[in-house]
Amino acid sequence: MASSSERSAGGASAAGYYVYLIPGAIGFIAIVLVPFVMNTAASFTRWNGIARPRFIGFENYIRLFNDGTFWEAIEHALASVIAMSIIPLLIGLVLAAVLFDYISSRFGPRASSILRAAYYLPQILPVAVAGILWGWILNPIGVLDALFDMIGLHWLALNWIGDPTLALVSLMGVMVWLQVGYALVVFMSGLARVDPALYEAAEIDGAGWFTRFLNITVPMLKPEIFVVGLTTTIAALKVFAPVFVLTGGGPGTATTVPSYLAYYHFFTTNRVGYGAAISSIQLLVTVALGLLFLRVQTRQTEEAQ
Amino acid sequence: MIASQVNRRRALALTAAVFAGALGLSGAARAADDNVFKIWWYETPESSQATAWNKALDTFKAKHPDVKIEFEQKSWDQIEKAGALMLNSGDVPDILEYNKGNAFAGLVASQGLLTDLTGEATKRGWDKLLSPSELALSRYDDRGIFGSGPIWGIPNYGEFVTVYYNKDMFAANGLQVPTTYDEFKKVMDAFVAKGITPIAEAAGDYPVVHLMGELELSQVNQQWVQDYQGLKKPFDGKPFLYAAQQMKEWMDKGYITKDVTGLKAPDMAQLFESQKSPMVITGTWYVGEFVKKNQFKWGQFLFPGNTISQASTGNLWVVPKDSKHKDWAAEFIDITMSKDNQAILGNAGAVPVAADPAAITDPVAQMMIQGFNTLKDRDGLGFYPDWPTAGYYEVLLHSSQSLLSGQMTPDQFVEALRKPYDDAQAGAN
Repeated sequence: MASSSERSAGGASAAGYYVYLIPGAIGFIAIVLVPFVMNTAASFTRWNGIARPRFIGFENYIRLFNDGTFWEAIEHALASVIAMSIIPLLIGLVLAAVLFDYISSRFGPRASSILRAAYYLPQILPVAVAGILWGWILNPIGVLDALFDMIGLHWLALNWIGDPTLALVSLMGVMVWLQVGYALVVFMSGLARVDPALYEAAEIDGAGWFTRFLNITVPMLKPEIFVVGLTTTIAALKVFAPVFVLTGGGPGTATTVPSYLAYYHFFTTNRVGYGAAISSIQLLVTVALGLLFLRVQTRQTEEAQ
Repeated sequence: MIASQVNRRRALALTAAVFAGALGLSGAARAADDNVFKIWWYETPESSQATAWNKALDTFKAKHPDVKIEFEQKSWDQIEKAGALMLNSGDVPDILEYNKGNAFAGLVASQGLLTDLTGEATKRGWDKLLSPSELALSRYDDRGIFGSGPIWGIPNYGEFVTVYYNKDMFAANGLQVPTTYDEFKKVMDAFVAKGITPIAEAAGDYPVVHLMGELELSQVNQQWVQDYQGLKKPFDGKPFLYAAQQMKEWMDKGYITKDVTGLKAPDMAQLFESQKSPMVITGTWYVGEFVKKNQFKWGQFLFPGNTISQASTGNLWVVPKDSKHKDWAAEFIDITMSKDNQAILGNAGAVPVAADPAAITDPVAQMMIQGFNTLKDRDGLGFYPDWPTAGYYEVLLHSSQSLLSGQMTPDQFVEALRKPYDDAQAGAN
């Protein structure tokens, strides 16, 4: 509890703290709020980005709901959620438990640190570079197919980027590769606050590794799971870079995502109003999911208390 | 209390210093532009154009020793996807290479993003060096449609799409250069029988659109081309239906590989250069690379059976509206149009528009110029199918990919092409 002198000092300079909010507020207004308002306004117009916009009401949105490509893009966004959120989360959980519980105790903390850094490397690599590299590896005359042919698995030497179904699978694979490191790092830092005595007690009571994982690791990491789940879902819904570099939305529209569609209409066909409508819908979906996540988390935290 | 006041003052002082520093730096950057000539192009470093234009830069530098030349290598994809955006930003070069056609130069010209070059063209005699048909793709009206209006860009070279072939592989298999479409198919069948894929092709990016374009142009005449490019009539799907059916047939018969949707242009070039496939259907822009990399005797023949092929005057030098050195830009264009530079361009393998024929001595260059002149003489310059409207390239590319991966039938292919074309056509008329 603060002493009376401290409390008065806090009251006098509390107003002074608002100064420190100014840079963040400027950033938010300039980079988030103003473009958001401009985008929403643009979505109600027909505009090519340079000439004067023409107000057309909800026409863009009506066209959007009838646009097959848009719904395909939403499907692929959901596939991205699976590939960038759910799968990395699960893999990250298991890997974190393995690295923390098993590798750390058997091979020492250095080994687990090195492995953690290795898994995180894809997050540091520029996406454009990663995309080009994966493009070279996955194309029909690339390394992966050559490897499969060499070891005799010819049935696996497929058209990984050119086949419509496989292109999405390949893209999802690259997304998992990108995101596992992030989940792993967050979970490992979360595990650092778990009391090792819990694990020892459970081991003494005869609990196997998987039982320990389910009953200790997962419940203790609930806050981290929510954070990783929320941030990766938001990232998945607005994913652009891996799609752009790897497949360009193709073949056909097999890997088009909402962000790529918005980009195409903003910059290539110069239908800015239509692209703005896509972005607005995308924002709505993302905010709705985000609020849902936060709601569930708050309720979970309340129940725990 | 005193500590917090001091901290607050420190924070304010630091913020002020950062702002001042940022303003100072940006001011310094702007001042430094005065003696810098910014130029962008996207022909690859190994291309004939790059050879000639680098020499042109040397000539320019000799005339302006104090000027710092800032060159940025771009890519065709960058211009295709974001050219209008780049020109609408504050950071424009003094001169750049730009794609010709309604969808590209036409769009930015009609938006007021380019400098009108009509005056300079008259003053410096460019409109005498180029014939009216060669200037057709330099002129765009206020709707962004080519053919009439002010001159917005100047081409240096001509280009066309052709079939490059490996003379050694043809000789080894006892085959002659085909002169009709049926003969072409027989040649391809002969290679397939020997287990060789006859055509190196890529559907991951632009090459497949060229294949579609050649097949489509085999069905039309010059009037149709002018109507199509000028958005004069609603979409005519018949030539495109033929093209789609032929492309499917080519894939079924093994003329192109089944995994062609996973390959991109560099992969396709590599398959030709490494002699995995004896033929490749692409344009004059690859000649520079083939001259350097092909370890075999090679040549070109125009797409058999076509009177009209994809061909046109080349990409344009355009001067952005906000270019800081329009005089230097005009001077540079002049250098690239001079007899000396055009001869360098020709001898490096490109098709020059204003060279003295006697000055071209390189045999490859003579071969390419002959191909272009053959097309020009029979009124066979067919332009490119993605030009009519912005974003049409993606429509053609994605539809071709869907067709070749089995997701679209030829009829669906035609329908996918129809709607965006008709939208643009209605909008322009």
